[in-house]
Amino acid sequence: MNVVVCAKQIPDPAAPGELDPNTKTLKREGKLILDDSDAYGVEMGLQLADKAGGGEVTLVSMAPHDEVSGLRTALAMGAAKAILISDDALQGSDSLATAKVLAAAIKRAEPDLVLTATESTDGYTGLLPAQLAELLGWPSITFAKHIEVTDGKAKVQRQTEEGYDEVEAPLPAIVSVTAGVVEPRYPSFKGIMAAKNKPVDQVTVADLGLSADDVGWKGARQEITDVVPAEERKAGEIVEDEGDAHERIVQFLEQLKVI
Amino acid sequence: MRFAFAPEQLEFRDAARNLLEKECPPSAVRDAWANETGRVPGLWDRIVEMGLFDLGDVDSILVLEETGRACVPEPVVEAWALRRTDATLAMHGTPYALYADSVDVVAVQRDAEFVRGTVGERTPSVDGSRRLFAVEATDEVLDIDVHVVTERAALAAAAQLVGLAQQMLDMSVAYVSQREQFGKPIGSFQAVKHHLADAALRLEFARPCVHRAAWVLENDDGLMSVQEAVSLAKAQASEAALLAARKALQVHGAIGYTVEYDLHMWMKRAWALAAAWGDAAWHRNRVKRHLLKGPMSNV
Repeated sequence: MNVVVCAKQIPDPAAPGELDPNTKTLKREGKLILDDSDAYGVEMGLQLADKAGGGEVTLVSMAPHDEVSGLRTALAMGAAKAILISDDALQGSDSLATAKVLAAAIKRAEPDLVLTATESTDGYTGLLPAQLAELLGWPSITFAKHIEVTDGKAKVQRQTEEGYDEVEAPLPAIVSVTAGVVEPRYPSFKGIMAAKNKPVDQVTVADLGLSADDVGWKGARQEITDVVPAEERKAGEIVEDEGDAHERIVQFLEQLKVI
Repeated sequence: MRFAFAPEQLEFRDAARNLLEKECPPSAVRDAWANETGRVPGLWDRIVEMGLFDLGDVDSILVLEETGRACVPEPVVEAWALRRTDATLAMHGTPYALYADSVDVVAVQRDAEFVRGTVGERTPSVDGSRRLFAVEATDEVLDIDVHVVTERAALAAAAQLVGLAQQMLDMSVAYVSQREQFGKPIGSFQAVKHHLADAALRLEFARPCVHRAAWVLENDDGLMSVQEAVSLAKAQASEAALLAARKALQVHGAIGYTVEYDLHMWMKRAWALAAAWGDAAWHRNRVKRHLLKGPMSNV
């Protein structure tokens, strides 16, 4: 079984992120790393391919400046190859434009199953899985906590607030995986060495048969009009005890209607 | 010739750092002080699976530093020296072996050979996660090359000491940047800066010695014997870590003396490792004898 895992390469969340004041988008210069939330998809993909007794995991990623650092991490975990779409024309792409690019790349890999995270750690739109499914015309199952593939179907336990739903869909399908459902393996030193020789197919927008007008700033259907810092939390009220503090606390709690 | 680490060697280091940040945070080291084995449940298998004990000397030296930086409470030095993951070692003249109760084989050095040891009573270490046990030599000789293994153990300890020193320095820099006195961070005062600069200087001199010794272990370059290179590394690294510990304690002030603060675990590991596998004086002496007499077979 061949699994495609969408793997986003993002600026290290441990380093404070910065916005470009002109474009109001996240600065994505410097080294990018594999989004932690995609590591679950990679692990799930590896386990499913393993269980199926054959097949491999292909990574699909869209990133600036031919960035492969994050992909190497996923390749070191055990993915077999990667398709990287890197093109200056992609700058400013919104979620839908990204979905178009990834969908075109996914088609090339002819997968049985596509895994994504529920949302990226730098963008947090959470729109991509459903957009991909729509563009590819494949079923979409979101928030998977367990996936089983049998008889050409994906049987998924779909996380809900109360527990989970059991859903199934014919393959190929797009399944988004919630964080924490599997334990992503750490790349071994052997895996790191092996990753160096694994193929990364670098393609441009034109290679995918897309027009530069459909992607990037030109293709974006959304516009970021303003970015403002989140409101700071107000300092709490300090009560100095002059013998009546208990009454003030009771008053305060009554105001909140908790007593 | 380019004397720098290859990109994949730096990737090994980063991968190890990532694993240890997640699987061996300070809270795990703290737990190891109090639990039964002194080790972190599950950590050993991960370190073994990652492949540390299958790597060459130069390939693994930065990873060993990381195990020091994270204060990993596992028999890393012993396993790396032996290149086997189920055994621990006791050096000649030291009747104690680390984690002897939670490994399969205890190898006790007896002059120029290693013999199987039996495990006796636990004895306290300054470092609560270092579980030391009295061991007694039997007559069963083990197939272990004493010369190779003792040099490797001293080098692994030196690499961990470099990592420990780096972490204590980093903790100190973070602390003095945040702790204020007279309305300013104390790190802005020159007297405090000097303490940390001294520690940084000693560390920067020690680090290349450790890297060089790993190179000499793997490649006989004909310029320096293994004994000389390892002794230089262990002497420098021991002194660098002891100084970093002292300076860290100094700039932390009273909080550095408390067991609730993490620094003490790093300091105590440094004290223990600086004395293990030959302390700075022993190794300095060996370098001295080497310089005076020329290449030695073994000292």
